[in-house]
Amino acid sequence: MTDKEWEPKIVAFCCNWCSYGGADTAGMGRFQQPSSLRIIRVMCSGRIDPMHVLNAFLEGADAVLVTGCHIGDCHYVNGNYKAEVRYRFLEEMVRELGLEPERLQLNWISASEGEKFANFVRDVTAQIRQLGPSPLKPEGVN
Amino acid sequence: MVKVGDRLLGYATDPDVRSRGASGGLVTAVLAAALEKGLVEGVVVLKRMDEYEAIPVITDDVQEVLASGGSMHAVPVNLAKHAVGRKIAMPGKPCDVRGVIEQAKRNGVDLESTYIVGLNCGGTMHPVVTREMLVRMYEIDPEDVSGEEIEKGKLIFRTKDGEEKAIPIDDLEEAGYGRRENCRYCTVKIPTSADLACGNWGVIGELAGNATFCEVMNEKGKRLLDNAIEAGFVDVRPADEKAIAIREKVNSAMLSLGSEWKEKVFTEMPDQERLSYYMEQFADCIHCGACKEVCPVCTCGEDSKCTMFHSLADNYRMSMYHMVRLLHLSDSCIGCGQCSDVCPVDIPVTSIFRRFADPAQKKRNYEPGMDLTRPPFLEVMLK
Ligand SMILES: Cc1cc2nc3c(=O)[nH]c(=O)nc-3n(C[C@H](O)[C@H](O)[C@H](O)COP(=O)(O)OP(=O)(O)OC[C@H]3O[C@@H](n4cnc5c(N)ncnc54)[C@H](O)[C@@H]3O)c2cc1C
Ligand code: SF4
Ligand code: SF4
Ligand code: SF4
Ligand code: FES
Repeated sequence: MTDKEWEPKIVAFCCNWCSYGGADTAGMGRFQQPSSLRIIRVMCSGRIDPMHVLNAFLEGADAVLVTGCHIGDCHYVNGNYKAEVRYRFLEEMVRELGLEPERLQLNWISASEGEKFANFVRDVTAQIRQLGPSPLKPEGVN
Repeated sequence: MVKVGDRLLGYATDPDVRSRGASGGLVTAVLAAALEKGLVEGVVVLKRMDEYEAIPVITDDVQEVLASGGSMHAVPVNLAKHAVGRKIAMPGKPCDVRGVIEQAKRNGVDLESTYIVGLNCGGTMHPVVTREMLVRMYEIDPEDVSGEEIEKGKLIFRTKDGEEKAIPIDDLEEAGYGRRENCRYCTVKIPTSADLACGNWGVIGELAGNATFCEVMNEKGKRLLDNAIEAGFVDVRPADEKAIAIREKVNSAMLSLGSEWKEKVFTEMPDQERLSYYMEQFADCIHCGACKEVCPVCTCGEDSKCTMFHSLADNYRMSMYHMVRLLHLSDSCIGCGQCSDVCPVDIPVTSIFRRFADPAQKKRNYEPGMDLTRPPFLEVMLK
Protein backbone atom coordinates (compact mmCIF):
# COMPACT_ATOMS: atom_id res chain seq x y z
CA MET A 1 0.00 0.00 0.00
CA THR A 2 1.48 3.37 -0.91
CA ASP A 3 1.12 6.53 1.19
CA LYS A 4 -1.29 7.98 -1.30
CA GLU A 5 -3.81 5.24 -0.78
CA TRP A 6 -3.64 5.34 2.95
CA GLU A 7 -7.01 6.22 4.42
CA PRO A 8 -7.00 7.51 8.01
CA LYS A 9 -9.41 6.16 10.58
CA ILE A 10 -11.43 8.91 12.18
CA VAL A 11 -13.67 8.28 15.15
CA ALA A 12 -16.46 10.80 15.69
CA PHE A 13 -18.50 10.88 18.86
CA CYS A 14 -21.92 12.24 17.93
CA CYS A 15 -24.84 13.10 20.15
CA ASN A 16 -28.17 11.52 19.31
CA TRP A 17 -30.11 14.76 18.90
CA CYS A 18 -27.84 17.06 16.92
CA SER A 19 -24.55 15.98 15.43
CA TYR A 20 -25.74 12.43 14.71
CA GLY A 21 -28.67 14.03 12.94
CA GLY A 22 -26.15 16.20 11.13
CA ALA A 23 -24.32 13.10 9.92
CA ASP A 24 -27.63 11.64 8.81
CA THR A 25 -28.55 14.79 6.93
CA ALA A 26 -25.13 14.73 5.27
CA GLY A 27 -25.91 11.22 4.04
CA MET A 28 -29.40 12.06 2.86
CA GLY A 29 -28.13 15.19 1.11
CA ARG A 30 -25.66 12.91 -0.72
CA PHE A 31 -22.66 15.00 0.24
CA GLN A 32 -19.55 13.14 -0.74
CA GLN A 33 -18.06 11.64 2.45
CA PRO A 34 -14.70 9.99 2.91
CA SER A 35 -14.72 6.38 4.02
CA SER A 36 -12.48 7.29 6.92
CA LEU A 37 -15.28 7.96 9.39
CA ARG A 38 -16.43 5.73 12.26
CA ILE A 39 -19.33 7.21 14.19
CA ILE A 40 -20.03 6.41 17.82
CA ARG A 41 -23.46 7.60 18.83
CA VAL A 42 -24.04 8.75 22.39
CA MET A 43 -27.24 10.24 23.77
CA CYS A 44 -25.51 13.52 24.60
CA SER A 45 -22.01 14.91 24.21
CA GLY A 46 -22.02 15.15 28.02
CA ARG A 47 -21.71 11.37 28.02
CA ILE A 48 -18.30 11.47 26.36
CA ASP A 49 -15.71 10.61 28.97
CA PRO A 50 -12.19 11.77 28.06
CA MET A 51 -11.30 8.15 28.70
CA HIS A 52 -13.36 7.11 25.64
CA VAL A 53 -11.33 9.47 23.51
CA LEU A 54 -7.97 8.25 24.76
CA ASN A 55 -9.10 4.67 24.32
CA ALA A 56 -10.07 5.41 20.73
CA PHE A 57 -6.50 6.58 20.11
CA LEU A 58 -5.06 3.48 21.74
CA GLU A 59 -7.35 1.33 19.58
CA GLY A 60 -5.90 2.93 16.50
CA ALA A 61 -7.89 6.08 15.68
CA ASP A 62 -5.84 8.58 13.71
CA ALA A 63 -8.12 11.39 14.85
CA VAL A 64 -11.03 11.73 17.25
CA LEU A 65 -13.85 14.21 16.84
CA VAL A 66 -16.01 15.33 19.71
CA THR A 67 -19.30 16.74 18.48
CA GLY A 68 -22.67 17.75 19.86
CA CYS A 69 -25.46 20.32 19.78
CA HIS A 70 -24.62 24.01 19.65
CA ILE A 71 -24.11 25.55 23.09
CA GLY A 72 -27.58 26.41 24.42
CA ASP A 73 -29.24 23.71 22.31
CA CYS A 74 -28.30 20.60 24.32
CA HIS A 75 -31.35 18.41 24.86
CA TYR A 76 -30.20 17.73 28.40
CA VAL A 77 -29.77 21.39 29.35
CA ASN A 78 -25.99 21.69 29.66
CA GLY A 79 -24.42 18.39 28.59
CA ASN A 80 -22.41 20.05 25.85
CA TYR A 81 -21.12 22.66 28.28
CA LYS A 82 -19.80 19.83 30.44
CA ALA A 83 -18.39 18.17 27.36
CA GLU A 84 -16.52 21.34 26.47
CA VAL A 85 -15.03 21.71 29.95
CA ARG A 86 -13.77 18.14 29.82
CA TYR A 87 -12.64 18.62 26.25
CA ARG A 88 -10.44 21.60 27.14
CA PHE A 89 -8.82 19.55 29.87
CA LEU A 90 -8.37 16.58 27.56
CA GLU A 91 -6.96 18.81 24.86
CA GLU A 92 -4.21 19.95 27.23
CA MET A 93 -3.44 16.34 28.07
CA VAL A 94 -3.22 15.29 24.45
CA ARG A 95 -0.86 18.23 23.79
CA GLU A 96 1.34 17.24 26.70
CA LEU A 97 1.41 13.66 25.43
CA GLY A 98 2.91 15.04 22.26
CA LEU A 99 0.15 14.05 19.82
CA GLU A 100 -0.44 16.53 17.00
CA PRO A 101 -3.29 18.94 17.87
CA GLU A 102 -5.11 18.16 14.59
CA ARG A 103 -5.84 14.67 15.88
CA LEU A 104 -8.38 15.87 18.40
CA GLN A 105 -11.10 18.31 17.37
CA LEU A 106 -14.36 19.66 18.69
CA ASN A 107 -17.32 20.93 16.68
CA TRP A 108 -20.95 21.78 17.40
CA ILE A 109 -23.22 20.66 14.59
CA SER A 110 -27.02 20.76 14.49
CA ALA A 111 -29.22 18.09 12.88
CA SER A 112 -29.84 20.31 9.87
CA GLU A 113 -26.19 21.11 9.23
CA GLY A 114 -25.44 18.14 7.00
CA GLU A 115 -23.06 20.08 4.81
CA LYS A 116 -21.15 21.40 7.80
CA PHE A 117 -20.75 17.87 9.07
CA ALA A 118 -19.53 16.57 5.72
CA ASN A 119 -17.08 19.47 5.30
CA PHE A 120 -15.75 19.02 8.80
CA VAL A 121 -15.00 15.35 8.24
CA ARG A 122 -13.49 16.03 4.85
CA ASP A 123 -11.21 18.76 6.25
CA VAL A 124 -10.03 16.64 9.11
CA THR A 125 -9.40 13.71 6.80
CA ALA A 126 -7.25 15.91 4.58
CA GLN A 127 -5.27 17.18 7.57
CA ILE A 128 -4.69 13.67 8.87
CA ARG A 129 -3.64 12.36 5.46
CA GLN A 130 -0.88 14.94 5.63
CA LEU A 131 0.15 13.85 9.11
CA GLY A 132 0.08 10.13 8.46
CA PRO A 133 -0.89 7.37 10.89
CA SER A 134 -1.10 8.16 14.58
CA PRO A 135 2.01 7.22 16.54
CA LEU A 136 -0.30 5.55 19.06
CA LYS A 137 -1.77 3.15 16.54
CA PRO A 138 -1.10 -0.43 17.64
CA GLU A 139 0.99 -2.70 15.49
CA GLY A 140 -1.05 -4.61 12.94
CA VAL A 141 -3.96 -2.12 12.93
CA ASN A 142 -4.55 -0.14 9.76
CA MET B 1 -6.45 30.57 75.49
CA VAL B 2 -4.76 30.94 72.13
CA LYS B 3 -6.24 32.64 69.08
CA VAL B 4 -6.41 31.68 65.44
CA GLY B 5 -3.44 33.32 63.75
CA ASP B 6 -1.24 33.19 66.87
CA ARG B 7 2.40 32.39 66.26
CA LEU B 8 3.93 30.78 69.29
CA LEU B 9 7.00 29.05 70.61
CA GLY B 10 6.19 26.02 72.72
CA TYR B 11 7.40 22.76 74.10
CA ALA B 12 6.25 19.68 75.97
CA THR B 13 6.15 20.09 79.75
CA ASP B 14 7.32 16.52 80.25
CA PRO B 15 11.15 16.66 80.06
CA ASP B 16 11.41 13.21 78.45
CA VAL B 17 8.97 14.10 75.71
CA ARG B 18 10.70 17.43 75.25
CA SER B 19 14.14 15.94 74.83
CA ARG B 20 13.00 13.09 72.60
CA GLY B 21 11.10 15.51 70.39
CA ALA B 22 12.67 16.91 67.24
CA SER B 23 12.54 20.46 68.57
CA GLY B 24 10.75 20.50 71.91
CA GLY B 25 8.17 17.75 71.66
CA LEU B 26 5.22 20.11 71.25
CA VAL B 27 3.76 18.05 68.42
CA THR B 28 3.93 14.82 70.37
CA ALA B 29 2.39 16.45 73.44
CA VAL B 30 -0.45 18.04 71.45
CA LEU B 31 -1.30 14.70 69.80
CA ALA B 32 -1.15 12.85 73.13
CA ALA B 33 -3.37 15.43 74.83
CA ALA B 34 -5.97 15.13 72.07
CA LEU B 35 -6.16 11.41 72.70
CA GLU B 36 -6.02 11.71 76.50
CA LYS B 37 -8.91 14.19 76.59
CA GLY B 38 -11.07 12.33 74.08
CA LEU B 39 -10.89 14.82 71.21
CA VAL B 40 -10.04 11.83 69.01
CA GLU B 41 -10.16 8.04 69.18
CA GLY B 42 -6.69 7.41 67.81
CA VAL B 43 -3.43 8.99 66.76
CA VAL B 44 -1.24 8.17 63.79
CA VAL B 45 2.26 7.38 65.06
CA LEU B 46 5.32 6.11 63.28
CA LYS B 47 6.32 2.69 64.56
CA ARG B 48 10.08 2.39 64.30
CA MET B 49 11.48 -0.57 62.40
CA ASP B 50 15.00 0.60 63.09
CA GLU B 51 16.67 3.93 63.77
CA TYR B 52 15.67 5.52 60.50
CA GLU B 53 12.82 3.47 59.09
CA ALA B 54 9.24 3.34 60.34
CA ILE B 55 5.72 2.44 59.36
CA PRO B 56 2.61 4.43 60.29
CA VAL B 57 0.12 2.81 62.67
CA ILE B 58 -2.90 4.10 64.54
CA THR B 59 -2.81 3.81 68.29
CA ASP B 60 -5.25 4.56 71.11
CA ASP B 61 -2.51 4.27 73.73
CA VAL B 62 -1.41 7.67 75.10
CA GLN B 63 1.94 6.24 76.24
CA GLU B 64 2.70 5.02 72.75
CA VAL B 65 1.98 8.51 71.41
CA LEU B 66 4.21 10.10 74.05
CA ALA B 67 7.04 7.81 72.99
CA SER B 68 6.68 8.65 69.29
CA GLY B 69 8.55 11.96 69.11
CA GLY B 70 11.36 12.84 66.77
CA SER B 71 11.54 13.56 63.04
CA MET B 72 12.35 10.70 60.73
CA HIS B 73 13.78 11.92 57.46
CA ALA B 74 13.95 8.55 55.72
CA VAL B 75 10.24 7.87 56.14
CA PRO B 76 8.59 9.31 53.04
CA VAL B 77 5.38 7.29 53.38
CA ASN B 78 2.25 9.40 53.07
CA LEU B 79 -0.12 9.40 56.03
CA ALA B 80 -3.22 10.89 54.37
CA LYS B 81 -5.06 7.64 53.75
CA HIS B 82 -4.91 6.76 57.45
CA ALA B 83 -7.41 9.52 58.06
CA VAL B 84 -10.04 7.97 55.79
CA GLY B 85 -13.12 6.98 57.78
CA ARG B 86 -11.55 7.58 61.19
CA LYS B 87 -11.69 10.03 64.06
CA ILE B 88 -8.02 10.66 64.56
CA ALA B 89 -5.29 13.20 65.12
CA MET B 90 -2.17 12.96 63.02
CA PRO B 91 1.12 14.68 62.41
CA GLY B 92 1.71 15.57 58.78
CA LYS B 93 4.28 16.88 56.39
CA PRO B 94 2.77 19.31 53.85
CA CYS B 95 2.16 16.42 51.44
CA ASP B 96 0.33 14.43 54.14
CA VAL B 97 -1.82 17.45 54.97
CA ARG B 98 -2.56 18.21 51.34
CA GLY B 99 -3.54 14.59 50.77
CA VAL B 100 -6.04 14.78 53.63
CA ILE B 101 -7.52 18.01 52.27
CA GLU B 102 -7.97 16.57 48.77
CA GLN B 103 -9.54 13.45 50.29
CA ALA B 104 -11.91 15.67 52.25
CA LYS B 105 -12.95 17.53 49.11
CA ARG B 106 -13.98 14.17 47.66
CA ASN B 107 -15.77 13.11 50.82
CA GLY B 108 -13.11 10.54 51.74
CA VAL B 109 -12.21 12.22 55.03
CA ASP B 110 -14.44 14.05 57.47
CA LEU B 111 -12.36 17.06 58.43
CA GLU B 112 -14.58 17.83 61.43
CA SER B 113 -13.28 14.72 63.16
CA THR B 114 -9.72 14.79 61.81
CA TYR B 115 -7.07 16.89 63.52
CA ILE B 116 -3.87 17.60 61.65
CA VAL B 117 -0.70 18.88 63.25
CA GLY B 118 1.36 20.03 60.29
CA LEU B 119 5.15 19.85 60.20
CA ASN B 120 7.33 22.10 58.09
CA CYS B 121 9.21 19.96 55.65
CA GLY B 122 12.50 20.34 53.85
CA GLY B 123 12.21 16.88 52.32
CA THR B 124 12.40 13.16 52.95
CA MET B 125 14.67 10.40 51.68
CA HIS B 126 13.86 7.02 50.23
CA PRO B 127 14.80 4.34 52.81
CA VAL B 128 16.48 2.08 50.24
CA VAL B 129 18.51 4.98 48.85
CA THR B 130 19.38 5.95 52.43
CA ARG B 131 20.83 2.52 53.12
CA GLU B 132 22.95 2.69 50.00
CA MET B 133 24.03 6.21 50.91
CA LEU B 134 25.08 5.07 54.38
CA VAL B 135 27.37 2.47 52.89
CA ARG B 136 28.77 4.54 50.01
CA MET B 137 28.95 8.06 51.43
CA TYR B 138 29.09 7.60 55.20
CA GLU B 139 30.90 4.26 55.21
CA ILE B 140 28.58 3.19 58.00
CA ASP B 141 26.85 -0.17 58.22
CA PRO B 142 23.11 0.69 58.12
CA GLU B 143 22.56 -1.69 61.03
CA ASP B 144 24.96 0.33 63.21
CA VAL B 145 22.94 3.57 63.01
CA SER B 146 21.54 4.79 66.30
CA GLY B 147 20.09 8.11 65.22
CA GLU B 148 19.80 10.70 62.47
CA GLU B 149 19.41 14.46 62.44
CA ILE B 150 19.54 17.48 60.12
CA GLU B 151 21.46 20.51 61.30
CA LYS B 152 22.64 23.56 59.37
CA GLY B 153 22.22 21.91 55.98
CA LYS B 154 24.05 18.77 57.03
CA LEU B 155 22.67 15.29 57.46
CA ILE B 156 24.14 13.68 60.55
CA PHE B 157 24.16 9.98 61.38
CA ARG B 158 25.17 8.63 64.79
CA THR B 159 26.36 5.09 65.29
CA LYS B 160 25.82 2.77 68.22
CA ASP B 161 29.40 3.26 69.40
CA GLY B 162 28.87 6.99 69.71
CA GLU B 163 30.52 8.17 66.49
CA GLU B 164 28.95 10.96 64.43
CA LYS B 165 29.34 11.72 60.77
CA ALA B 166 27.93 14.81 59.04
CA ILE B 167 27.80 15.45 55.28
CA PRO B 168 26.30 18.56 53.62
CA ILE B 169 23.00 17.66 51.95
CA ASP B 170 24.13 19.47 48.78
CA ASP B 171 27.08 17.08 48.48
CA LEU B 172 24.82 14.09 49.03
CA GLU B 173 22.43 15.27 46.33
CA GLU B 174 25.30 16.01 43.99
CA ALA B 175 26.19 12.32 44.32
CA GLY B 176 22.60 11.23 43.64
CA TYR B 177 21.58 10.66 47.24
CA GLY B 178 19.78 12.85 49.74
CA ARG B 179 16.18 13.93 49.33
CA ARG B 180 13.83 12.31 46.87
CA GLU B 181 13.63 14.15 43.58
CA ASN B 182 10.06 15.39 44.16
CA CYS B 183 11.00 16.86 47.56
CA ARG B 184 13.66 18.96 45.92
CA TYR B 185 11.06 20.81 43.88
CA CYS B 186 8.17 20.54 46.37
CA THR B 187 6.19 23.79 46.50
CA VAL B 188 4.86 23.77 50.06
CA LYS B 189 7.27 23.90 52.97
CA ILE B 190 4.97 25.24 55.69
CA PRO B 191 1.67 23.34 55.87
CA THR B 192 -0.69 26.28 56.21
CA SER B 193 -3.72 24.13 55.38
CA ALA B 194 -3.16 22.03 58.52
CA ASP B 195 -4.80 22.95 61.84
CA LEU B 196 -1.45 23.81 63.39
CA ALA B 197 1.74 24.51 61.44
CA CYS B 198 4.81 23.47 63.42
CA GLY B 199 8.51 23.51 62.77
CA ASN B 200 11.89 24.60 63.99
CA TRP B 201 12.44 27.48 61.59
CA GLY B 202 12.50 30.67 63.64
CA VAL B 203 13.51 29.00 66.90
CA ILE B 204 16.79 30.64 67.90
CA GLY B 205 19.00 31.35 70.90
CA GLU B 206 18.66 29.25 74.00
CA LEU B 207 15.41 27.73 72.77
CA ALA B 208 16.99 26.37 69.57
CA GLY B 209 16.54 22.62 69.50
CA ASN B 210 14.14 22.49 72.38
CA ALA B 211 11.15 24.56 71.34
CA THR B 212 8.76 24.33 68.42
CA PHE B 213 7.46 27.25 66.37
CA CYS B 214 3.72 26.78 66.08
CA GLU B 215 1.15 28.77 64.08
CA VAL B 216 -2.53 28.34 64.86
CA MET B 217 -4.18 28.02 61.44
CA ASN B 218 -7.86 27.61 62.29
CA GLU B 219 -10.48 26.89 64.99
CA LYS B 220 -9.53 23.23 65.14
CA GLY B 221 -5.91 24.19 65.70
CA LYS B 222 -7.00 26.45 68.53
CA ARG B 223 -9.02 23.60 70.02
CA LEU B 224 -6.03 21.25 69.78
CA LEU B 225 -3.61 23.66 71.39
CA ASP B 226 -5.99 24.94 74.10
CA ASN B 227 -6.71 21.33 74.95
CA ALA B 228 -3.01 20.52 75.31
CA ILE B 229 -2.35 23.61 77.40
CA GLU B 230 -5.33 22.94 79.70
CA ALA B 231 -4.25 19.33 80.11
CA GLY B 232 -0.84 20.62 81.21
CA PHE B 233 0.95 18.87 78.36
CA VAL B 234 2.51 21.96 76.75
CA ASP B 235 3.74 25.46 77.51
CA VAL B 236 3.64 28.23 74.92
CA ARG B 237 4.70 31.85 74.62
CA PRO B 238 4.31 34.32 71.77
CA ALA B 239 7.04 34.21 69.15
CA ASP B 240 8.83 37.55 68.72
CA GLU B 241 9.16 39.52 65.49
CA LYS B 242 12.62 38.18 64.87
CA ALA B 243 11.53 34.54 65.09
CA ILE B 244 8.63 35.21 62.72
CA ALA B 245 10.90 36.99 60.24
CA ILE B 246 13.50 34.22 60.25
CA ARG B 247 10.88 31.57 59.60
CA GLU B 248 9.58 33.56 56.65
CA LYS B 249 13.04 34.14 55.30
CA VAL B 250 14.10 30.49 55.43
CA ASN B 251 10.81 29.48 53.87
CA SER B 252 11.24 31.75 50.88
CA ALA B 253 14.87 30.72 50.47
CA MET B 254 13.81 27.06 50.42
CA LEU B 255 11.04 27.78 47.92
CA SER B 256 13.36 29.53 45.51
CA LEU B 257 15.87 26.67 45.73
CA GLY B 258 12.88 24.46 44.97
CA SER B 259 12.04 26.33 41.79
CA GLU B 260 15.64 26.04 40.63
CA TRP B 261 15.41 22.29 41.08
CA LYS B 262 12.14 22.28 39.21
CA GLU B 263 13.78 23.79 36.17
CA LYS B 264 16.56 21.25 36.33
CA VAL B 265 14.21 18.28 36.58
CA PHE B 266 11.61 19.35 34.04
CA THR B 267 13.66 20.07 30.95
CA GLU B 268 11.75 21.05 27.83
CA MET B 269 11.16 18.23 25.37
CA PRO B 270 9.89 18.62 21.79
CA ASP B 271 6.49 17.02 21.05
CA GLN B 272 7.72 13.92 19.24
CA GLU B 273 10.35 13.23 21.84
CA ARG B 274 7.83 13.58 24.67
CA LEU B 275 5.52 11.03 23.18
CA SER B 276 8.27 8.48 22.73
CA TYR B 277 9.58 9.23 26.21
CA TYR B 278 6.18 8.51 27.77
CA MET B 279 5.72 5.41 25.64
CA GLU B 280 9.14 4.07 26.56
CA GLN B 281 8.72 4.74 30.27
CA PHE B 282 5.26 3.22 30.54
CA ALA B 283 6.28 0.25 28.39
CA ASP B 284 8.06 -1.13 31.47
CA CYS B 285 4.92 -0.98 33.61
CA ILE B 286 3.82 -4.36 34.94
CA HIS B 287 0.47 -2.96 36.07
CA CYS B 288 0.91 -4.05 39.64
CA GLY B 289 -1.27 -1.14 40.77
CA ALA B 290 1.10 -0.13 43.57
CA CYS B 291 1.24 3.47 42.39
CA LYS B 292 -2.53 3.87 42.65
CA GLU B 293 -2.62 2.02 45.96
CA VAL B 294 -0.31 4.56 47.64
CA CYS B 295 -1.57 7.72 45.96
CA PRO B 296 -2.91 9.98 48.72
CA VAL B 297 -5.28 11.89 46.47
CA CYS B 298 -6.94 8.91 44.77
CA THR B 299 -10.26 8.33 46.51
CA CYS B 300 -11.41 5.17 44.75
CA GLY B 301 -10.11 2.85 47.46
CA GLU B 302 -11.18 -0.74 46.99
CA ASP B 303 -13.65 0.24 44.28
CA SER B 304 -10.93 1.34 41.91
CA LYS B 305 -11.10 -0.16 38.46
CA CYS B 306 -8.25 1.55 36.67
CA THR B 307 -5.99 -1.52 36.70
CA MET B 308 -8.74 -3.43 34.90
CA PHE B 309 -8.33 -1.12 31.93
CA HIS B 310 -5.14 -2.90 31.20
CA SER B 311 -5.07 -6.13 29.25
CA LEU B 312 -1.92 -7.50 27.63
CA ALA B 313 -4.10 -8.78 24.80
CA ASP B 314 -4.86 -5.20 23.79
CA ASN B 315 -1.34 -4.61 22.55
CA TYR B 316 -1.70 -0.84 23.13
CA ARG B 317 1.25 1.44 22.58
CA MET B 318 0.67 3.11 25.89
CA SER B 319 -0.86 1.92 29.12
CA MET B 320 -4.58 2.68 29.33
CA TYR B 321 -4.24 2.35 33.08
CA HIS B 322 -1.91 5.34 33.18
CA MET B 323 -4.10 7.29 30.76
CA VAL B 324 -6.98 6.86 33.21
CA ARG B 325 -4.86 7.83 36.18
CA LEU B 326 -3.53 10.88 34.37
CA LEU B 327 -7.09 11.96 33.66
CA HIS B 328 -8.20 11.37 37.21
CA LEU B 329 -5.26 12.88 39.03
CA SER B 330 -3.97 15.78 37.00
CA ASP B 331 -6.23 18.10 38.95
CA SER B 332 -5.26 16.85 42.39
CA CYS B 333 -1.72 15.44 42.18
CA ILE B 334 0.40 17.03 44.89
CA GLY B 335 3.71 15.59 43.77
CA CYS B 336 4.20 13.62 46.95
CA GLY B 337 6.43 11.07 45.22
CA GLN B 338 4.73 7.97 46.60
CA CYS B 339 4.10 6.52 43.14
CA SER B 340 7.76 6.67 42.14
CA ASP B 341 8.84 5.41 45.56
CA VAL B 342 6.93 2.16 45.26
CA CYS B 343 7.29 1.40 41.56
CA PRO B 344 9.03 -1.98 41.30
CA VAL B 345 10.40 -1.21 37.84
CA ASP B 346 11.61 2.31 38.65
CA ILE B 347 9.36 4.25 36.32
CA PRO B 348 9.64 7.96 37.25
CA VAL B 349 5.87 8.03 37.75
CA THR B 350 5.85 11.20 39.84
CA SER B 351 7.74 13.39 37.42
CA ILE B 352 5.62 12.10 34.52
CA PHE B 353 2.43 12.89 36.44
CA ARG B 354 3.76 16.32 37.35
CA ARG B 355 4.43 17.06 33.68
CA PHE B 356 0.68 16.78 33.11
CA ALA B 357 -0.56 18.13 36.41
CA ASP B 358 1.64 21.18 36.72
CA PRO B 359 0.41 23.10 33.66
CA ALA B 360 -3.22 22.08 34.25
CA GLN B 361 -3.13 23.28 37.85
CA LYS B 362 -1.24 26.43 37.03
CA LYS B 363 -3.65 27.36 34.28
CA ARG B 364 -6.57 27.14 36.68
CA ASN B 365 -4.62 28.72 39.49
CA TYR B 366 -5.42 25.69 41.63
CA GLU B 367 -2.97 24.42 44.20
CA PRO B 368 -4.32 21.10 45.46
CA GLY B 369 -4.54 20.54 49.18
CA MET B 370 -4.16 24.18 50.12
CA ASP B 371 -7.52 25.90 49.95
CA LEU B 372 -10.53 24.16 51.42
CA THR B 373 -12.98 26.62 49.98
CA ARG B 374 -12.08 25.61 46.42
CA PRO B 375 -13.65 22.42 45.11
CA PRO B 376 -11.70 20.23 42.64
CA PHE B 377 -11.34 22.32 39.51
CA LEU B 378 -13.37 20.21 37.12
CA GLU B 379 -16.25 20.35 39.57
CA VAL B 380 -16.21 24.15 39.79
CA MET B 381 -16.36 24.56 36.09
CA LEU B 382 -19.17 22.07 35.71
CA LYS B 383 -21.52 24.11 37.88
C1 LIG C 1 10.83 14.78 57.23
C2 LIG C 1 10.74 16.02 58.03
C3 LIG C 1 11.38 17.18 57.57
C4 LIG C 1 11.30 18.34 58.32
N1 LIG C 1 11.91 19.47 57.82
C5 LIG C 1 11.76 20.64 58.52
C6 LIG C 1 12.31 21.83 58.04
O1 LIG C 1 12.97 21.85 57.00
N2 LIG C 1 12.10 22.98 58.73
C7 LIG C 1 11.38 23.00 59.90
O2 LIG C 1 11.18 24.05 60.48
N3 LIG C 1 10.85 21.88 60.37
C8 LIG C 1 11.03 20.71 59.73
N4 LIG C 1 10.46 19.56 60.20
C9 LIG C 1 9.70 19.65 61.44
C10 LIG C 1 10.59 19.50 62.65
O3 LIG C 1 11.56 18.51 62.43
C11 LIG C 1 9.75 19.04 63.84
O4 LIG C 1 8.95 17.95 63.51
C12 LIG C 1 8.87 20.14 64.31
O5 LIG C 1 9.66 21.25 64.65
C13 LIG C 1 8.06 19.70 65.52
O6 LIG C 1 8.96 19.40 66.54
P1 LIG C 1 8.44 18.69 67.84
O7 LIG C 1 9.60 18.44 68.73
O8 LIG C 1 7.30 19.45 68.36
O9 LIG C 1 7.94 17.33 67.21
P2 LIG C 1 7.91 15.92 67.92
O10 LIG C 1 7.28 16.02 69.23
O11 LIG C 1 9.26 15.32 67.79
O12 LIG C 1 6.89 15.14 66.98
C14 LIG C 1 7.25 14.80 65.70
C15 LIG C 1 6.05 14.21 65.05
O13 LIG C 1 6.39 14.02 63.69
C16 LIG C 1 6.02 12.73 63.29
N5 LIG C 1 6.95 12.35 62.21
C17 LIG C 1 8.25 12.04 62.31
N6 LIG C 1 8.76 11.74 61.11
C18 LIG C 1 7.75 11.88 60.22
C19 LIG C 1 7.65 11.69 58.83
N7 LIG C 1 8.70 11.32 58.10
N8 LIG C 1 6.47 11.87 58.24
C20 LIG C 1 5.38 12.24 58.97
N9 LIG C 1 5.42 12.44 60.30
C21 LIG C 1 6.60 12.26 60.92
C22 LIG C 1 6.14 11.88 64.51
O14 LIG C 1 5.30 10.75 64.42
C23 LIG C 1 5.67 12.85 65.59
O15 LIG C 1 4.30 12.83 65.71
C24 LIG C 1 10.57 18.37 59.52
C25 LIG C 1 9.94 17.21 59.96
C26 LIG C 1 10.01 16.05 59.24
C27 LIG C 1 9.32 14.82 59.74
S1 SF4 D 1 6.85 16.08 49.01
FE1 SF4 D 1 7.21 18.04 50.04
S2 SF4 D 1 6.10 17.86 51.96
FE2 SF4 D 1 6.29 15.77 51.15
S3 SF4 D 1 8.14 14.93 52.10
FE3 SF4 D 1 8.77 15.88 50.17
S4 SF4 D 1 9.36 18.01 50.69
FE4 SF4 D 1 8.19 17.16 52.39
S1 SF4 E 1 0.11 10.78 41.38
FE1 SF4 E 1 1.98 10.21 42.52
S2 SF4 E 1 2.92 12.19 43.10
FE2 SF4 E 1 0.80 12.64 42.47
S3 SF4 E 1 -0.35 12.61 44.41
FE3 SF4 E 1 -0.50 10.51 43.53
S4 SF4 E 1 1.21 9.36 44.45
FE4 SF4 E 1 1.59 11.57 44.81
S1 SF4 F 1 3.97 0.95 40.46
FE1 SF4 F 1 5.14 0.99 38.52
S2 SF4 F 1 4.85 -1.08 37.63
FE2 SF4 F 1 3.28 -0.84 39.23
S3 SF4 F 1 1.49 -0.08 38.11
FE3 SF4 F 1 2.59 1.74 38.88
S4 SF4 F 1 3.96 2.36 37.19
FE4 SF4 F 1 3.26 0.24 36.76
S1 FES G 1 -27.97 16.39 23.49
FE1 FES G 1 -26.57 17.07 21.98
S2 FES G 1 -25.00 17.82 23.29
FE2 FES G 1 -26.45 17.23 24.77
